[in-house]
Amino acid sequence: MSRRAFTRSLMAAGVGMFSVPLAGRRALAASDDEATFFTWGGYDIPELFGEYKEKHGALPNFATFGGSEEALTKMRAGYVVDVSHPCNQALTRWVSSGLFQPVQTDRLAHWGDVMPELVDLPGNDAEGGNVWMAPFDWGQTSVTYRTDMFELEGEESWDMLWDERYKGRLGSLASGGDAWWCGAIKAEVDFKDIDTPEAFDKIAAVMREQRPLIRVYTDDTTTLEQALASGEMVAAMTWNSSAVLLQSEGVPVKFAKPKEGALTWVCGVMIHKDAPNLDRAYDVIDSLLSVETGKFMIGEWGYGHPSKKAFELFDDETLQGLGLSANPSNILDAGHFQIPQSQEWETKMNAMFEEIKAGF
Amino acid sequence: MVLLSPAFGFMLVALLVPFGILLLMSLWTAQGFGFDTSLTLDNYRQLLERPIYGALMERSLSISGSVTIATVILCYPMAYYVAFHVHRNKMIWLVFITLPFWTSYLLRVFAWKVVLGYEGVINSGLMSLGLIEAPLEFLLYSQSAVVITLAHAWAAFAILPLYVSLEKIDKSLLEAATDLGDGPVARFMRITLPLSLPGVISASLLIFIPTTGDYITPALLGGPDGAMIGNLIQKQFGPINNWPMGATLAIVLMLCIAVVSGIFILLTMLVRRRIS
Amino acid sequence: MSGRGFNKPSRSLRLYSLIFLFVLYVPVLFLPLFSFNDSIYVKFPLTGFTFEWYGELFEREPVWNALMNSLKVGISVSVLSTVMGIFAAKAITRYRFPGRGPAVGFIMLPLVVPLIIFGVALLVLFSRMGVSLSLYTVAMGHLIVCLPFSVATLIPRFEGFDKSVEEASSDLGENAFWTFWRVTLPMVFPGVVASLILTFTVSFDEFIMAFFLSGSEPTLPMYIWGQLRFPKEFPSILALSSIIIAVSFLLIFISQWINRGAHVTSVKGD
Repeated sequence: MSRRAFTRSLMAAGVGMFSVPLAGRRALAASDDEATFFTWGGYDIPELFGEYKEKHGALPNFATFGGSEEALTKMRAGYVVDVSHPCNQALTRWVSSGLFQPVQTDRLAHWGDVMPELVDLPGNDAEGGNVWMAPFDWGQTSVTYRTDMFELEGEESWDMLWDERYKGRLGSLASGGDAWWCGAIKAEVDFKDIDTPEAFDKIAAVMREQRPLIRVYTDDTTTLEQALASGEMVAAMTWNSSAVLLQSEGVPVKFAKPKEGALTWVCGVMIHKDAPNLDRAYDVIDSLLSVETGKFMIGEWGYGHPSKKAFELFDDETLQGLGLSANPSNILDAGHFQIPQSQEWETKMNAMFEEIKAGF
Repeated sequence: MVLLSPAFGFMLVALLVPFGILLLMSLWTAQGFGFDTSLTLDNYRQLLERPIYGALMERSLSISGSVTIATVILCYPMAYYVAFHVHRNKMIWLVFITLPFWTSYLLRVFAWKVVLGYEGVINSGLMSLGLIEAPLEFLLYSQSAVVITLAHAWAAFAILPLYVSLEKIDKSLLEAATDLGDGPVARFMRITLPLSLPGVISASLLIFIPTTGDYITPALLGGPDGAMIGNLIQKQFGPINNWPMGATLAIVLMLCIAVVSGIFILLTMLVRRRIS
Repeated sequence: MSGRGFNKPSRSLRLYSLIFLFVLYVPVLFLPLFSFNDSIYVKFPLTGFTFEWYGELFEREPVWNALMNSLKVGISVSVLSTVMGIFAAKAITRYRFPGRGPAVGFIMLPLVVPLIIFGVALLVLFSRMGVSLSLYTVAMGHLIVCLPFSVATLIPRFEGFDKSVEEASSDLGENAFWTFWRVTLPMVFPGVVASLILTFTVSFDEFIMAFFLSGSEPTLPMYIWGQLRFPKEFPSILALSSIIIAVSFLLIFISQWINRGAHVTSVKGD
């Protein structure tokens, strides 16, 4: 190759190299028109955004997180999105961060279908009757167990996850947002007193008792589901969807209704105060509240959905099988409902739970 | 100097400034959503008082130590082979040895989960061969799983420095030793090993240091007993939401690494002097 | 030379080396193997051959977005770090100046600091500066990781060619820029290409820094990490991983091949 030809090809290569990122940036600019939904990994699927896609011809932009604390941390660090996805137990802290704006419910076409029990959450009416979080998915944290391998003694109970017989064959969610509260139910601590030092001691004691029995603490539900499917674990703390998924694959599991009550949670969507695409943010929420999305959430994942109309699509038997009910307030009333706590409490609880998980 | 300045200047800014802020933040305390910016050694005090920090630090150092020893010992013969016994296509050998190293670390760790899992490759393989009745549970979620995975993941990093130092050895020295009647073992102990020590040292440091801070492998494969200090640091910036404590842990981890590496270098220097 | 003992072909050593290579590769190769398996569970015995998981990948928009993000970061980082690496390598090999050794050590420092510490330190810095996390912050982090590799790849190239050619060129009246452009660069060209490919791959596969520094746009490894928790997605993640591994292998092989003339000192660690 002559030097000139070489130089020319090098320049061409250089131009090529530099123009790729530029082209990319232009492509990115185009999708800036869509709202950004900052959500749990797994909710970034087209099935939930049928309406949105119909209206705008594209899906919203997604950003995902593994836990809502992580999400709040990122947003506090200056990360701006349109809509994000906390749960009721974090609601007060999210509101008090000053990063969000109330939801103007009259801008939502499907708001009329929403069950009022799910809107009327502690902290959701802060600062004069606003709605800060539009409810979206709700469900329970309970014990999924292998009916063929776990010998039930008496009623279904949280004791199943403290059963010495199955040492090393029990699993747990790793996040304190679930596990600590379940520990509170097991330790018979009233959620109202969960921030007292005595409650901390009591819950820590049961968590320490449980720790040697646990094969793995994990936030990725695949691990728990595969372990249950293979028989590596006989029981694990999970959400509704794990049991539904395993059942659909023919694994003999059941989502327990513990006699002490399961942990009930409601997650929803909040709008960022600086949302750059406010109109589309409302379209995201509307899409999530739609009957089609609800049908998918209930039928495929076994989660509750706020739309009354979506529930009407299922018969009683199907709902019972999914661990739901035609009258959702039954479930909400029967379970233990998390009470929002302060940031200090969260930090203290998580630090303590991490120590326990590590064996201290 | 002018030429060096972009790279050097970038590194200066990209290293010193964040570390400065990290150090500063380690002297703050977390307070709700924000920080209490009055300077205090509180975090460092807690680090000494609560057993978890010291224990995890110790565990990380011991896991990384095992990984380092295993990797260097296993890689040494390989590097030796390429340096002394491969005469043609050395380059191809080296490329093949180092190839996996450049591919996604996450995926290599993930691959080990597939291998070691309860229904993983080893267990389901052994079971379909009829060698075991039930899956071996100890394979996954243990410190040994972490050590195996890390040793595998960092092997290439050990081979290159070992190879370079072995390759540099003057062959005539070995010939001379043979002429003087040294057997293979004596020759190895008297010449090859001492002369390849620089390679052993850099290989050890190149493995020991990065693995101490690893958190992916323990998170995926370690189970409750396999957690390392990196996991705790990551948690401080995640769910625990105590950034100052996380900064403190990061600083202390660096100090620990520096001290251990320093001691290691000193020891090998002493050994080297003794041998020669 | 043969028959002197130390380089006599040793059968056991050869066997060891082959086993070593086997163990090095096999775990990684299970990912592609199971990506063609017709079951969502990753276990033996294999149940059947399928392309389904690969087909599924093409329909997934987030995968493509993540891929684009990784390409953007990877290409920018490889170009920037190689450009800086060229200057640095030239300075290091051509000129003696006080503090040269420490300066080189300093640039190589990221090789011997746990990446989590960089990730955390940069996260703290960005958040204090009010810089919101984006692909730019990821690229910044990757630049730190990649620069040492780039410098280490280029130094042997600069060391390997005859300085007198450059001198001759400047004697002929070429100015410094033209000497560099027309003489130096062509001679180190294989190193430059190798560095571009190598740093691209490192950035493309990097996860630890991206975990702390990425905002809304996930890179491909971040996307994979997020998807590990969904069993139904698992096989197509295996498929995606297999593609990434295949491409990485190919790229690295090419870069090493192009640069095969250089001494193998690319990871000296000093």
